[in-house]
Amino acid sequence: MAVAIQGMGHSVKRKEDPRFLRGRGNYIDDLKLPGMLYMDILRSPYAHAIIKSIDASRALTLPGVLAVITGKDLDAAGLAWMPTLMSDKQMVLPVDRVVYQAQEVAAVIATERYIAADGITLIDVDYEPLPVVVDPKKALEPGATLVRPDREQKDNHIWHWEAGDKTATDQSFQEAAVVAKEDIYLPRIHVSSIETCGCVASFDKMAGKLTIWMTTQAPHAIRTVFSLVSKIPEHNIRVISPDIGGGFGGKVPVYPGYVIATVASITTGKPVKWIEDRSENLQADSFARDYHMTAELAATADGKMKALRIKTIADHGAFDAAANPSKFPAGLFSICTGSYDIPAAHMEVDGVYTNKPPGGIAYRCSFRVTEAVHAIERMVDSLALKLNMDPAALRLKNFIPPESFPYKSATGWEYDSGNYPAALHKAMDTIGYADLRREQAEKRARGELMGIGISTFTEIVGAGPSHTFDILGIKMFDSCEIRVHPTGSAIVRIGVQTQGQGHETTFAQIVAEELGLPVENITVEHGDTDTAPYGLGTYASRSTATAGAAAAMAARKIREKARLLAAHLLEASPDDLEWKDYQFQVKGDPARAKTMADIAFAAYTNHPQGMEAGLEAVNYYDPPNLTFPFGSYICVVDIDRGTGEVKIRRFVAIDDCGNIINPMIVDGQIHGGLTMGMAPALLEEISYDEAGNMRQSTFMDYLLPTAMETPAWELDKTCTPSPHHPFGAKGVGESATVGAPPAIVNAVVDALSHVGVSHIDIPITPWKVYAILEAHGLAAP
Amino acid sequence: MHFEGSEAIRAPVDAVWAFFMDAPSVAGCAPGFQKMEVLSPEHYKPTVAVGVGPVKATFTLDVTLTDLRPPHHATMRGHGIAAGSGVDLESQLDLAATGESSTSLAWTMDAVVSGAIASMGARLLENTAQKVTARFFECVREKLGTAPR
Amino acid sequence: MAEVQLNINGQPHQADVESRLLLVHFIREVANLTGTHIGCDSTSCGACTVLVDGLPAKSCTLFAVQVNGADISTVEGLEQDGQLHPIQEGFFEEHGLQCGFCTPGMMMAGVALLERNANPSEADVRHAISGNLCRCTGYVNIVKAIQYAGAKMRGELPERAAKEVA
Repeated sequence: MAVAIQGMGHSVKRKEDPRFLRGRGNYIDDLKLPGMLYMDILRSPYAHAIIKSIDASRALTLPGVLAVITGKDLDAAGLAWMPTLMSDKQMVLPVDRVVYQAQEVAAVIATERYIAADGITLIDVDYEPLPVVVDPKKALEPGATLVRPDREQKDNHIWHWEAGDKTATDQSFQEAAVVAKEDIYLPRIHVSSIETCGCVASFDKMAGKLTIWMTTQAPHAIRTVFSLVSKIPEHNIRVISPDIGGGFGGKVPVYPGYVIATVASITTGKPVKWIEDRSENLQADSFARDYHMTAELAATADGKMKALRIKTIADHGAFDAAANPSKFPAGLFSICTGSYDIPAAHMEVDGVYTNKPPGGIAYRCSFRVTEAVHAIERMVDSLALKLNMDPAALRLKNFIPPESFPYKSATGWEYDSGNYPAALHKAMDTIGYADLRREQAEKRARGELMGIGISTFTEIVGAGPSHTFDILGIKMFDSCEIRVHPTGSAIVRIGVQTQGQGHETTFAQIVAEELGLPVENITVEHGDTDTAPYGLGTYASRSTATAGAAAAMAARKIREKARLLAAHLLEASPDDLEWKDYQFQVKGDPARAKTMADIAFAAYTNHPQGMEAGLEAVNYYDPPNLTFPFGSYICVVDIDRGTGEVKIRRFVAIDDCGNIINPMIVDGQIHGGLTMGMAPALLEEISYDEAGNMRQSTFMDYLLPTAMETPAWELDKTCTPSPHHPFGAKGVGESATVGAPPAIVNAVVDALSHVGVSHIDIPITPWKVYAILEAHGLAAP
Repeated sequence: MHFEGSEAIRAPVDAVWAFFMDAPSVAGCAPGFQKMEVLSPEHYKPTVAVGVGPVKATFTLDVTLTDLRPPHHATMRGHGIAAGSGVDLESQLDLAATGESSTSLAWTMDAVVSGAIASMGARLLENTAQKVTARFFECVREKLGTAPR
Repeated sequence: MAEVQLNINGQPHQADVESRLLLVHFIREVANLTGTHIGCDSTSCGACTVLVDGLPAKSCTLFAVQVNGADISTVEGLEQDGQLHPIQEGFFEEHGLQCGFCTPGMMMAGVALLERNANPSEADVRHAISGNLCRCTGYVNIVKAIQYAGAKMRGELPERAAKEVA
């Protein structure tokens, strides 16, 4: 019998594994080119300072050091500043001042890695420290230290953004019987993929061509930006994403190191490699969160939600360099009405400059959806407490009913499909919710602290439709090109860029399903801008929703031609054929059939007169809408009264991402996402002292979860396909990072709500909990 | 960071004052002191090696004495940079004779540390600064001929 | 400079190197075995884990000169005669990797565990890999992968056709 197709829904083992298992991955630091030089970067110890002078003379005398590049050198070429993805500008290297600790100040180019590292210690910089502002609220006060004197507007306010109906919302709050209000701070965190960022830039003087291997999640967009900034025509720039050791959004921004390495290659005529250390990565690369929110949820006395209001101060650091779609400086924050039918909502966000590194959305957040969901899920529990209502019951009372989809939210999003009650009931049944509440009551009577936390989140991914979404003007379509070979195998090239999500397997499966070719006969390529069709890259859980759809659409174009070829081979009319069981069959006479393999061969050897040979197609997919995966998570915690330690006893995650390509890969994404949701909830935080020193510049202080802290996550699914996606899929990469933190916080607060605790800011460290226990007389002696 | 303290020193106030006005004497008590350039009695540049946790740095400090009101008050300011770290110090010294051969010394130290020492050594910084300060004054008392308290 | 001789995966490698050359850089750049990775600068992440004379060690925190003459095992030495090591088979079968960057170090830590504990519990496995950070997988499948390898090495799993494995 034929080799199995193994398309949609199969847990196909991964095609990318053979090289990774053997240590034969091609990560950026594995790349060696003849004559390659190494670059290291000198960084500022000060968060804010004038640079009076830079003396590189000692560094230049070190044997092996070929050049030192400073802001003055770049300025001469008009490259000291570069545009950011949010239409701000950012220093590549400073000419006169630094504006955050660890900002790039100068770069050493040397023949060897260790010599470059020695070189940076030999550069003498004379700094004149300036006052530092690290509190965004203080930054907005009149007379505050000005972070960006280069701007026309002489204050630290970047932009003001609003969504929703302020009048209707304020009115609703005035009339409301019950209002819950909380101040919620989501601290800075850092995505910390195990591989840091880096590049190898290689300018071929003879050909005038720049090739740059770069840890980038969006190679085509980078190519276009590089062309605009460097004036090298785009056909002479080739960006290659090698194997990437984790991205999660941290490998989307254009870091100064990439630009400096490129300049260094152009000036030296040699390839230049730059690989950052972990401490550089933590201190200077794009962060996430840092949202100071005040949220209010209004309801009737019997618990019907009426209005949501959120005011946010967004700390963006010294440059606005978050990689949001251009019309959304606060990302998709307005999804914050969540899974609930809330008639009125209004949110406002003010972006602020401080003396900290730039960024904002680099941590698996779907463009600020983590912030939005954290706010609404915390407010629902806060409201439940105020109403003395069970949090599950309050949710069930307010969910958007399954029959209301497509649903238009109060902030204008059209949710494609959803069934929130089904997911929550499944979660409650799986974990034994009623029994847990009984157990909690018994334990509480004995003075034991146990909590149950729920998070019923709705995600918004798949950016996005061209009428609303663009990055620096480039629309957010995505693409797929498929070519079927005569002997029935195929090559697929896509515009998205995996960093561990398994695209080489899942995209092969999509095409296998659509074309009826065995998945093992389909090869997937990506990441080389010379060959891959133009795409916007992989982040914000968009790949399946956009490029996945493009793959299906391209395959269906091929099937249209294949139908004509089949008709020719079967001497039947195309209308008499149906695509069934992965072949074209004559309706009513299934024995007369042709497989795609037969048809592929014919495309090159036996096509009808007047038809072009070959069997290929490309599709650039403009999604008609975003997709709305959702989930119901329930977390059970026990709190140690002697240490304040929070132990996650159980965590049940019910996810709904529509139709699933590879269940094994989806579960892997959820395991990882839950762990990156637990991390900021309990362990991770980036903070700054008054002098602007970042306190967590190594993994000794920035605590990633290990296998010891991470629970054995329990997963299950419901399936509510997307009605507008070609195969009903929604995407799932970030759902768990979005949904998990509030489930955990809600559980801890639930454990302590009987003594009046209604909110705790993350990370919920043992020290924080212990202080609360002490304050309420609950600490064990 | 702000530290303050007061020391009882069994020496006459003039001797204590003279000690603090003599750069080599003061430098000799600084933990990690390596060498010094003296530009004037009130301006000198000591090189001091400091370790906080995993970070070691050798600072060249630019120290100036101002606000001199002998033998009772001096202000000392220091500014220094090492590879990857910077430090700004200001110290107030107030001496009062408590007897013919005894002096009370009240001191404050304000330090702003920037860079690797402060970020990688954040959790240990205050502790280390306290230890360094304590060692310094122990040495001062010893040199001025008194037993530690 | 110092002359260093290391046996890596049974092959001798000899070179004149700076005393400060880290073992991980010797492995990656002198021996050209790039499967061992660097993920941090504080000995925290374990991506650089190799076996030194059979014991797991973080090669970013050893100088090559320190282990002169030692037997080093890296990920490249796991496959023998075209046959994947049970640990590699386990990671493949149980989807124990996503981006693959932590995987070599994780597998070496797993191999070291199974050498001393042929039938580790979940808690044993989690403890043994507590020095290896992973950002992608959430550890659930890594634990399963290592337990699979243990079962395979105890002869409890059927042989697989070469075609079915990676």
